[in-house]
Amino acid sequence: MSWFILRRVLLAIPTLFGVLVVAFLLLYVAPGDPVEAMLGERADSATIVRLREQMHLNDPLPVRFGHYVASVATGDLGRSYITNRPITEDIKERFPKTLQLAGAAMLLAIVIGISLGVLSARRPGGLVDRFALGLAYLGISFPVYWVGLLLILLFAVTVHWLPPSGYGSLKFLALPALTLGMRSIAFLARMTRSSMLEAMSADFVRTARAKGLSEWVVTLKHALRNALIPVITVIGLDFGAYLTGSILTETIFSWPGLGRYVVNAISRRDLPAIQGAVLFLSTVFVVVNLITDLAYAKADPRVSYE
Amino acid sequence: MEAKRTLRLVVLTFAITACGSSGPPSRHELIDSRDNYDPRSLDPALSTDVPTGRAVAYLFDGLTRFDPRAKVEPSLATRWDVSPDGRVYTFHLRQDVHFTDGEPITAHTVAKSWTRALDPATKSGAASFLFPVAGAKDFNGGKASSISGLAVRDDSTLVVTLAEPLAIFTKMLAMPVAAIVPEHPAPDFGEHPIGSGPWKLVEWKHDDYLLFARNPQYFAGPPKTDTLRARIIAEPSTAVAEYESGNVDVLEIPADEASEWEEDESRKPMLMSTPALELVYIGINTTRGPLADVRVRQAINDAIDIDRVIERLVSGRGTRAAGVIPPALAGYDSTRKAYPYDPAKAKQLLAAAGYPKGIDIELWVSMTPIYQHIAETVQAYLNAVGIRTKIVQRDAATARAASRKGQTDMILKDWYADYPDAEDFLYPLLHSANRGAGGNISFFANPTFDSVVTASRHELDETKRDALYRTADSIAFAQAPMVFLYFYNELYAVQPWVKGFVPPVIFNGQRWLDVTMQHSAK
Repeated sequence: MSWFILRRVLLAIPTLFGVLVVAFLLLYVAPGDPVEAMLGERADSATIVRLREQMHLNDPLPVRFGHYVASVATGDLGRSYITNRPITEDIKERFPKTLQLAGAAMLLAIVIGISLGVLSARRPGGLVDRFALGLAYLGISFPVYWVGLLLILLFAVTVHWLPPSGYGSLKFLALPALTLGMRSIAFLARMTRSSMLEAMSADFVRTARAKGLSEWVVTLKHALRNALIPVITVIGLDFGAYLTGSILTETIFSWPGLGRYVVNAISRRDLPAIQGAVLFLSTVFVVVNLITDLAYAKADPRVSYE
Repeated sequence: MEAKRTLRLVVLTFAITACGSSGPPSRHELIDSRDNYDPRSLDPALSTDVPTGRAVAYLFDGLTRFDPRAKVEPSLATRWDVSPDGRVYTFHLRQDVHFTDGEPITAHTVAKSWTRALDPATKSGAASFLFPVAGAKDFNGGKASSISGLAVRDDSTLVVTLAEPLAIFTKMLAMPVAAIVPEHPAPDFGEHPIGSGPWKLVEWKHDDYLLFARNPQYFAGPPKTDTLRARIIAEPSTAVAEYESGNVDVLEIPADEASEWEEDESRKPMLMSTPALELVYIGINTTRGPLADVRVRQAINDAIDIDRVIERLVSGRGTRAAGVIPPALAGYDSTRKAYPYDPAKAKQLLAAAGYPKGIDIELWVSMTPIYQHIAETVQAYLNAVGIRTKIVQRDAATARAASRKGQTDMILKDWYADYPDAEDFLYPLLHSANRGAGGNISFFANPTFDSVVTASRHELDETKRDALYRTADSIAFAQAPMVFLYFYNELYAVQPWVKGFVPPVIFNGQRWLDVTMQHSAK
């Protein structure tokens, strides 16, 4: 197992290096001038020329890239062109909030999604199943901002149960987490259902029933565990996606996370901030995938990494 | 985007029907909802955007300041004398002002503060506002080791010599970049600022809020409310929902929603309108192909029914532009008639210019939904007279960079005044010294216009200066280096329990000094 982890970590290095190269080149070819963005509308051309020199933006691309890689290697992501704050500080401040939101969304998705899936599978075509199907359609086809604004409208503006937006205690977390998790609830419900149906018709379930085990033990212990592999895949992918892309939800709910940071950085051509955030988020994605792979083995002893 | 707008209207309609339940809140804190992104820094020298500029006005003082109606008032300087040639300003400073850490503000502090803003190492994007001071530009460019125009006579007297007379210099001193900071700011000053202004920073949660507490020692009398929270709300619909829930006190109503608010009787009493110093226009690059011909540019102006655009797409919240000077500023000429909607004349002008078969041009526009709608409408009008228009949509930074490099035929954009004076429209937008990066994306270069604008900058007599502004504006109007669209009139909603809030004409003109709240009986 530890060999497996080590191999994966080593493999992640070229992946991240590739990300670095792509992020660097993309920003290089993208139009828009970081110095102009930094100086604002009223900068005079002499200052622009001087600063470009000062910030080494006139150096050849390989030289700039070399400098950047060298500083990243020492853990220094540089300072934002716009705010002059260290990028690592910015990420440290915002990522926990994104993690909190993504974690809550995933938790909701796992609890609601898997429960709905299991209940649907126990009685296909029944009331729960049809309800879950309807919910899944809605969850998958409604855009995030639509769901988000409707939830605000209902729970905040109309009945005043929850605050419309902002960061703070659990009551601030409820609406954005539900909005973000909606798609996963839908996916997990459908995925669990089909996976469960398959497992329930397997021989070992018949055996379990024949042993006289109660229906719940059969469902949860024998069938569900076997049905979990594809479900874990979805959880892992979605969680990774939430950690790296909850931009819309964060914007609608004024959630001060990393997604909004990235969007701001892009619109202001804040190169070090974009590169730093992309690199960090890619690392997060790689780590989440690794954990997902390890979780397979936990869920299903037949999967082995030795 | 369309669906998003529809939903916003649904939210609004719902909110209207649900409204009425909430009385005054129990909080003792004013909450603003107008910032839609995080200030870049609270260091005045780095202020180039509106959220930063607003916060700087809360935390710091300059020698002068703007009132909500954008009039210049004395602040740290109680008065100033101007030499007859208009080049030497002698500022007499208050002697009773301290930073919140107890350090006094003297003429030395002022000189040091401006020197810091101009220091190339500070990398200020707004340093050019201090360039009128003799030697400032050379110092900023690294060509001089000090600023020749700054002289401290004694603790309370600062003598400033300008490179050339500039009538509006005292307005520039009310800008964020000219605000006075302590002599030895800490390295993280932008994060933990110390100022002398009416508010002190308590807490700054990035992308979330800035919390300010009143400065009881504020020299002009402390604010009447204890705390002020500036929330950062990225999405306009969310700000509306927060306002509806009574969680914020002041809301800037998005332009495309204005009519829904104005048509609702229960909301009317909450509404306040103010002429923003904002020109919405289509810059025409006067150096590109057929657009170099003034007749073609006039034809473009004639071809568009701008009144209808304002009526339909901006909820009527624009004052039709017939020049670049807004109605709220001296130099505005109310008698000048805007280009009439006359497609037949537009076709004649095109033919006379040698393009009877029409021309092909590109119209650039950023992703702002309301501007996209305007661009599409303009495209239809132009196509109808044979000006075949292709819309190019880019994000704001890309569009701006392209227009500054002269790569756009036409670009739909806006211009906000940095300080309330006609000069801030005429000079940056159309003077040949500012072609490209300076703001003149029309690349307009008209010697007569240039000389009139230069003369107006030097003219100390207000009446004569206003006359020069009018002349310059009428030259620009006739030369049509842009499609003159409209001046936007901002619409605010202010909660009924908030008293004393006046919507500011200029972004840093409202410091919440006299704003109070009524509280619920609970």
